[in-house]
Amino acid sequence: MRFLIYRYHPEKDQKPYMQAFELDGLDKNKMLRDALLLIKKQDESFTFRHSCGEGVCGSDALNINGTNGLACITPLSSLKEPVEVRPLPGMPVIRDLVVDMAQFYKHYREVKPYLVVTDPEPEVEFKQSPEERSKLDGLYECILCGCCTTACPSFWWNPEKFRGPAALLQAYRFLADSRDQAHDKRLEELDGPYRMFRCHTIMNCVNVCPKGLNPTEAIHNIKRMMMKDVV
Amino acid sequence: MTLARRKFDTLVIGAGGGGLRAALQLAQADAKVAVVSKVFPTRSHTVAAQGGINAALANVLPDNWHWHMYDTIKGSDYLGDQDAIEYMCRAASNLVVELEHAGVPFSRLENGNIYQRPFGGQSQDFGGKQAARTCAAADRTGHAILHTLYQQNIRAKTHFFDEYFAIDLIKDEEGVILGALVMSIETGEPLLIEAKTTLLATGGAGQLFRTNTNAHINTGDGLAMALRAGIPLQDMEFFQFHPTGIAGKGMLISEAARGEGGYLTNKNGERFMERYAPNAKDLASRDVVSRAIFIEVQEGRGCGPSGDYVNLNINHLGEEVLNKRLPAICDSIRTFLRVDPAKDPVPIYPTAHYTMGGIPTNRQGQVVVPIEHGEEPIPGLYAVGECACVSVHGANRLGGNSLLDIVVFGRAAGNDIIGYLREHRYHRPINESDVEQAMAHLTRWDRKGDGISVAGLRGELQAIMEKYCGVFRTEEILQQGLEKVLEIEQRLDDVVLYDHSKIFNTARIEAFELENLVDIALATVKSALSRQESRGAHSRVDYPERDDKHWLKHSLFYKQDRRMAYKPVRLKPLTVDTFPPKERVY
Amino acid sequence: MSWRAQGLRTWLLQRLTAIYMALYLLLALLVLYSHPVTGFTAWHDLFHQPVINIATIFMFASIFYHAWVGVRDILVDYVQPQPLRFMILTLVSILLLALMLWVVFLMFGVLQG
Repeated sequence: MRFLIYRYHPEKDQKPYMQAFELDGLDKNKMLRDALLLIKKQDESFTFRHSCGEGVCGSDALNINGTNGLACITPLSSLKEPVEVRPLPGMPVIRDLVVDMAQFYKHYREVKPYLVVTDPEPEVEFKQSPEERSKLDGLYECILCGCCTTACPSFWWNPEKFRGPAALLQAYRFLADSRDQAHDKRLEELDGPYRMFRCHTIMNCVNVCPKGLNPTEAIHNIKRMMMKDVV
Repeated sequence: MTLARRKFDTLVIGAGGGGLRAALQLAQADAKVAVVSKVFPTRSHTVAAQGGINAALANVLPDNWHWHMYDTIKGSDYLGDQDAIEYMCRAASNLVVELEHAGVPFSRLENGNIYQRPFGGQSQDFGGKQAARTCAAADRTGHAILHTLYQQNIRAKTHFFDEYFAIDLIKDEEGVILGALVMSIETGEPLLIEAKTTLLATGGAGQLFRTNTNAHINTGDGLAMALRAGIPLQDMEFFQFHPTGIAGKGMLISEAARGEGGYLTNKNGERFMERYAPNAKDLASRDVVSRAIFIEVQEGRGCGPSGDYVNLNINHLGEEVLNKRLPAICDSIRTFLRVDPAKDPVPIYPTAHYTMGGIPTNRQGQVVVPIEHGEEPIPGLYAVGECACVSVHGANRLGGNSLLDIVVFGRAAGNDIIGYLREHRYHRPINESDVEQAMAHLTRWDRKGDGISVAGLRGELQAIMEKYCGVFRTEEILQQGLEKVLEIEQRLDDVVLYDHSKIFNTARIEAFELENLVDIALATVKSALSRQESRGAHSRVDYPERDDKHWLKHSLFYKQDRRMAYKPVRLKPLTVDTFPPKERVY
Repeated sequence: MSWRAQGLRTWLLQRLTAIYMALYLLLALLVLYSHPVTGFTAWHDLFHQPVINIATIFMFASIFYHAWVGVRDILVDYVQPQPLRFMILTLVSILLLALMLWVVFLMFGVLQG
């Protein structure tokens, strides 16, 4: 199988380039991560992040043949040759396929992704009906891999101001939680022309999410909540 | 060049559930906490825990902490320390409620309480009917807990050093731990973090074995750091093989699959667990089920063309239950096996999963070493979670007790550290000589020339451990294993890096990890060779019985001279009566 | 913060103006289809009716506001240099305001005449 891999080493290279690799006798049932590990065996200077190998840690998000996805759950059989592997778009490249995700994490922190309860806490669990709990399905499963946010043109244009689909999905995860009591504050914080309203429903985020989540719908639901509060 | 330094009250190494729970306790008490993690915190391996966390909430079936305690002790094959187990089981309910209050999206029952499911080794009334004790967020409980703990740490403004690799602990002449030498992976620059207390929460070493459920990062770095600091490792011969890993690949299929009603069959379609565990059947302890699968395959009753796996059946549960209760493992099965779990059985085989042994600690999380009579804590050093050995898991951990372990002892260690900080208000000075050894360790990999590659030797080590230190063991096999690991240790000297660059050099990180793995492999094989009995996960074909008279004791492995020592099991609980060892049947 | 265009308000108004424009156009087409209007006087009479006159002023106001939001969105995304963006925004706003004034001037003229 043929691979074209994005290479950039800041200590050596003036600018990035694509390097070709050929792997013989590769089992096509294997995942792209397995192939990348074989390439690393050939050339230990080749660098990418990876860990759990089963799509739950979110380390190995990459741009694969033009689409963002996780290398560890992308079967080689699904890929057209030569397989072009690049770092996630729209973020500074540290080395090879490793990008600096500081901005992404900052947006995550800024939506205050934690439960806020102001009432006194009971000694037992808060009650939450299965229906209320089911509102969190499709939200809490986010693994912060960054596929969605780095596929979003609105994030490319305004990376410092637009929160991006991943952070907004988390914002809604807490807005949708029947236990949370910071509803107004959260909505207030998301108003303004940039933070959320840069979303133009392009829906790249939905197309690339490796966990099948739907940030666009979450953003839509936040807008509906805002309208409900105003009207 | 002068070494960059930072000063904190507490240094936490590892940002999984244990490290984050301790950090949270400390940050909320206004201590200055630094959390060092070689990956971004939510990528720590706690994220992959699926089934749930045990607590006797009695939301579904009658339950209480005392039954939970009994099950845990029995599950540990009586090697667990009963005081620590009582402490953990008593704390469980409060800790789960605390997690719920912190935001963990637990699945719910109709009445709005936390959903609980049956898990292996659980019983009502001290060995009676099956209990339902495992609190779950679908089959993503670890993910839900890890993310929540990270989120609460963001709120508490814990200071994170993301993608920093810990090289070695710093110890002064009096044996006090003063922090650690760490390295920024992004820049390759070393950094000395001075701390009045240091907590190791670096997780297990599943990467010892070729087929494992663990992440690439689970290389037991904290265990090896402790060994190098002269601290022994406890009970390293006990390594858990999870019965249901995806056959040939190793991805975990949670015990929740059987808890929700799944069962195992061999090639004849027989529910073979009925023969091995007439009462608990598929929900016997993990060591029991793993051995049963192993025997079925060995005796020619395995499924598939090569007869090398057995089937897990969950197709009778129906799409609704699968989607609601086991969505993530169904995804995993579809992705990695291209099997539809709603229609077809799932090929599974036991897979290396959990390090029961570890750094010896007491129930406050203090690292303890034996002295002439009893043991004493190492000042300034704590350990929690999979890298620690309290020991609450003994010779075999129950499913759902690992998430409990990390939050209970993460919190306990946090509280004890708060007390320690109150009495030790100032940093002790660090002399140049205290850092020398760690710096030498760091520069060892600057060596150039021709030699063996890191990845190659890591692969060899994993294959050796799998072959010579697997589910069933004998003196002969273990002896061969020991020799082979010793040979690898020798060859470690010939390993060189070809990439000597600084920026994000993962090859260098993997070299450090390989060193760590070799140390832990030695500890594991040597401890296994020494223990001449079968107990829990440690099955000696040549010593098939448990031998309480000679072996009801913890083993301790020292790196220096590869010496073994032993210490008694704490059989006396905190308040209740001892559960004396008796025959263990499920 | 209040001088800044609020996200929700802008977003909402953009959609309300869109709905208004769609309705106006639909009605206008229906009316013109069933009662064809020809010649200056017929047109003049039509817009002499206060309801239609005011509705038309609102129509143009909607168009200009809608255009303003749309153009601003595009500029915010694609014109990154702040001074340039500010300059273009100023020009566009002057243009749109001038157009609006012209519409009001015309419509009031019809109303009085």
